[in-house]
Amino acid sequence: MKFHATILIELKEGILDPQGRAVEGVLKGLGYAVEQVRVGRVLEMELEAESEAQAKETALAIAGALANPVMEVYTLEALKPLQEVL
Amino acid sequence: MKVAVIVFPGSNCDRDTQWALEHSGCKAELVWHTEGNLQGYGAVLVPGGFSYGDYLRAGALAKFSPIMAEVKRLANQGYPVVGICNGFQILTEAGLLPGALLANTNLHYTCKDVFLRVERTDLPFTSAYQPGQILQLPIAHGEGRYYADEATLHQLEEGRQVVFRYVEHQGHGGNPNGSLADIAGIVNQRGNVLGMMPHPERAVEDALGSVDGRGLFESLKRALEIVA
Repeated sequence: MKFHATILIELKEGILDPQGRAVEGVLKGLGYAVEQVRVGRVLEMELEAESEAQAKETALAIAGALANPVMEVYTLEALKPLQEVL
Repeated sequence: MKVAVIVFPGSNCDRDTQWALEHSGCKAELVWHTEGNLQGYGAVLVPGGFSYGDYLRAGALAKFSPIMAEVKRLANQGYPVVGICNGFQILTEAGLLPGALLANTNLHYTCKDVFLRVERTDLPFTSAYQPGQILQLPIAHGEGRYYADEATLHQLEEGRQVVFRYVEHQGHGGNPNGSLADIAGIVNQRGNVLGMMPHPERAVEDALGSVDGRGLFESLKRALEIVA
């Protein structure tokens, strides 16, 4: 079975995010009442797996390998059979 | 003994590093990152550049290269291992050094000379320097802000693992990227794995504007002679 996974990688809370600061500054300049902006990264991938549980395990293992635990946290945002996404 | 200079797709300081080593009397060979073996090499240099185009994060993908298992083996056996700029990022990503390198506070790719203070001269990379010596070396990076959590930082300071610190000198320099504790370079606890953001290989002859990088390669040469 094919699955579609969405992984979100973000800087840990409390670590200065200059990219977020820059975006925040621009948004404020545009007049939006924005308090704080953080910039993360989304990884979308298609996986082959026997079951949803196995797909989840693989997706989390990949996320764990790609994120840097010193400065980042990751979450599996979504996991669906591929045909539901297409 | 020969020094291995690891070449990843995107390394661009490999030849400069090889040249700087040879200029200081070391034998140095370029080793492609898919090579499985570092047998016969007495030290490893992970040069600067943009391994895998810095995709995902600087240094993040290089840690999966086959050669990294060998780099780890040598590091664990106590051989000198040096990571410069992207090489430093790779060594932290691979877990050979603590902490991480984040985007510069000002978000600018910064390419200029900075000043560093040598905090330790009892290492295989710094024996040719004087304690407290101020070096002028170039930096060229967008992700050089050293970060570690408080406990790790405390450990680094307690264990005298900060080797180079950015300083102001004659009204110039200072911390160029927002690194915690002005850290420009660190070693592991054992003292055989060094990571630094500035480029010593770009400061080894007068024509380059500074010769302050030479000491690092000369120190390494001494260390290798003692081993041999």
